Amino acid sequence: MDETVAEYIRRTVLKIPKDEIKMMLQKWGFLSEAQLQTLNFHQIKDNISQEVVQLCEENSADIKQAAVLDIIYNHIYQNKRMWSVYQMKKSGEELEYFDITDFKKKFKRRLRSALKNVTITFKEYEDNAIWIRVAWGTPHKKPNQYKPSYVVYHSQTPYVFISSSLLKSTLPLLCQALIVASNYHDIREMELRSHSLNSLKDIVFKRYSQNFQTCTPKPLQGGNVEPENADIRIVEENRSEKERIHRLNQEVFGSGPQPILEFAQYRLETMFKSDPKMEVLDKKEPFRCLVKFSSPHLLESLKSLAPAGMADAPLSPLLTCIPHKARNYFKIREKKGLYPESFVSP
Amino acid sequence: MAEGRAPRAGADGKKFERRRRAAAAMAEEAPEDGAVRTLPSLRRLSRALPFGRSHGRLTVPALCSQEKADPQKTAFVLRKAWTLYSVTPLYGFRRARLRDYARLLGAFIAAEKQKGLAVEVGVELDIKVALSSLADIRGSELDQAALLVQLSSRSRSSSRNSEDKPVWLGWFCSVFGDELSESVPEHFTCLPLFLSHGAESYTALVGSWFQKTFDCCFRRLAISPLNLSWMVAMWAGCKLDRAASAVELVFSVPRLAQPLDISYAIHPEDAKALWDTVQKTPGEITHEEVDVFMDCLYAHFHRHFKIHLSAAKLVKISTAIASAQCDGIVKVRPLGAGCSNAGQIKQLYLKVSWFFCMISYKELLNPQF
Repeated sequence: MDETVAEYIRRTVLKIPKDEIKMMLQKWGFLSEAQLQTLNFHQIKDNISQEVVQLCEENSADIKQAAVLDIIYNHIYQNKRMWSVYQMKKSGEELEYFDITDFKKKFKRRLRSALKNVTITFKEYEDNAIWIRVAWGTPHKKPNQYKPSYVVYHSQTPYVFISSSLLKSTLPLLCQALIVASNYHDIREMELRSHSLNSLKDIVFKRYSQNFQTCTPKPLQGGNVEPENADIRIVEENRSEKERIHRLNQEVFGSGPQPILEFAQYRLETMFKSDPKMEVLDKKEPFRCLVKFSSPHLLESLKSLAPAGMADAPLSPLLTCIPHKARNYFKIREKKGLYPESFVSP
Repeated sequence: MAEGRAPRAGADGKKFERRRRAAAAMAEEAPEDGAVRTLPSLRRLSRALPFGRSHGRLTVPALCSQEKADPQKTAFVLRKAWTLYSVTPLYGFRRARLRDYARLLGAFIAAEKQKGLAVEVGVELDIKVALSSLADIRGSELDQAALLVQLSSRSRSSSRNSEDKPVWLGWFCSVFGDELSESVPEHFTCLPLFLSHGAESYTALVGSWFQKTFDCCFRRLAISPLNLSWMVAMWAGCKLDRAASAVELVFSVPRLAQPLDISYAIHPEDAKALWDTVQKTPGEITHEEVDVFMDCLYAHFHRHFKIHLSAAKLVKISTAIASAQCDGIVKVRPLGAGCSNAGQIKQLYLKVSWFFCMISYKELLNPQF
């Protein structure tokens, strides 16, 4: 077995948390059950990984099998990576029947014609997701297995999720290969990025609960209008305001769980408008700003701003449109003409 | 109902009483009494500082022109993250004895390591200490020159004459602390601001040696959102020749179910243009002007997002000159080759240090018990 392959397997096993190593090796299926029985999973990880490498040596593992183990690890720990969403476009033909073998063949052929040294690995999952791992080399160097790109393609949709390696030059090659293999004619990057792959899928596949106004929420009067206030002398002065905010929030965000995004970024190129009494800046050029919101769960966080008194309700459409428009990167310019107060997002 | 300032009963009242008594005690001079080292006339000083709501004006002082402005000597300040502390005046500190102090501090560190408080496990390191004065870093002749403490290591294992590797840096300074220095009695040296860069463990060692030797007290300096907004206003308006980095304000909204951070970065030319229309007198900044500047930024933000930034906590600011965080960590940026005038650069940096010194003075005079 090649020493680089041995080292790669060793490092991949080291990444796995100790109590999950057995499960992942089983999923991998490269080592037999008998071989797995010989492993002692109670020693330190260093030793476990050495033993795994020895067993792989017995089975003469090559880089292709090692790459499959890497895909399995990244599929389970997909949220450690940053994913971008791409949308492919057809030239207007009918949707053809998708043939996975044909797809793989065309993909490999396209990539290999452009770059000799690449390692390409596929793995299919239940939800029609095809995971593709590509390790990139140069005409003179073998592929770097430690900085691969990952692609997740749902064959019934035009969407592709890419977690690219740090090599920016490889992205066009990857995109080209994808459209050729899937019989689309164009691909564009959507301004949508997150660590949570499932949330990205929720957004583009519209799987989150949207604000359908057909559903009438239960009127609050009937429900828990008197929480723990046994004392009737305590009256909530702004209860109606609270209810109004709650209702508006429901309308805008829906009542179900929000997809998980970690940030939203706005490049503002709008005019600075001030109270004329203040006698401040009144330039004819835009006031250039870059605003970035970050949170472990951005949409939930934004939803809670108005009830906390930090924001007006309804919240600005610039924020609430994120799931509908399936983007979290925006460029905002002043809209000319009838509505000077509203904004355009190109 | 009698109007009066009787101390209130209850927990608040006790605190108030204790503070009052402590302040009164601090106001007494007792140079003969070894046990009590005090700072007289605190009340006079606190009236001079401009950060309360009632003292709204800040005049950026004109720094004395020093012909021999050597940028090399002060280059160490740049590009490092410094942690700020306020320091009470040092008792019995003598500039002539710097070599002795270095030796004593070195011995102290070696002893502490032998006691088992090793700072680096598994590596045998000799720590060398160097103390030096930096005459360049001060506001006026009345200020004490800055004091630099350098810790470097030389690995015992290397036999040849290897170079010392710097492992930790700290410096004390006083910029325009005239008022404070004037009222300090003999034997006290006033260097109210301390900045450290390097492992926390070394900072603790150096700090405890100074505290024991000079009977002073170090306290971590927190920078309030109010001070941060003053900094943004002051530095956004500075004229810089080269392409400057954005003026960034970072807000935190921690008390939500899911915490939210908001970064609001403004193009430096636009921020300066806004500040220029707000500031009425060059060289002077008033509280109202800072408020107007911040309100403009908040209003612009609200127009787009309907969020009240003023209700969030300003935790970090960053400009082309320097950045500062609420936990007292600051960074001074190099102004680069584009800025031709070395003297001008130095003026700018001294102004930055001056501002931090001011915050430190305020902390020293209003200690939170």
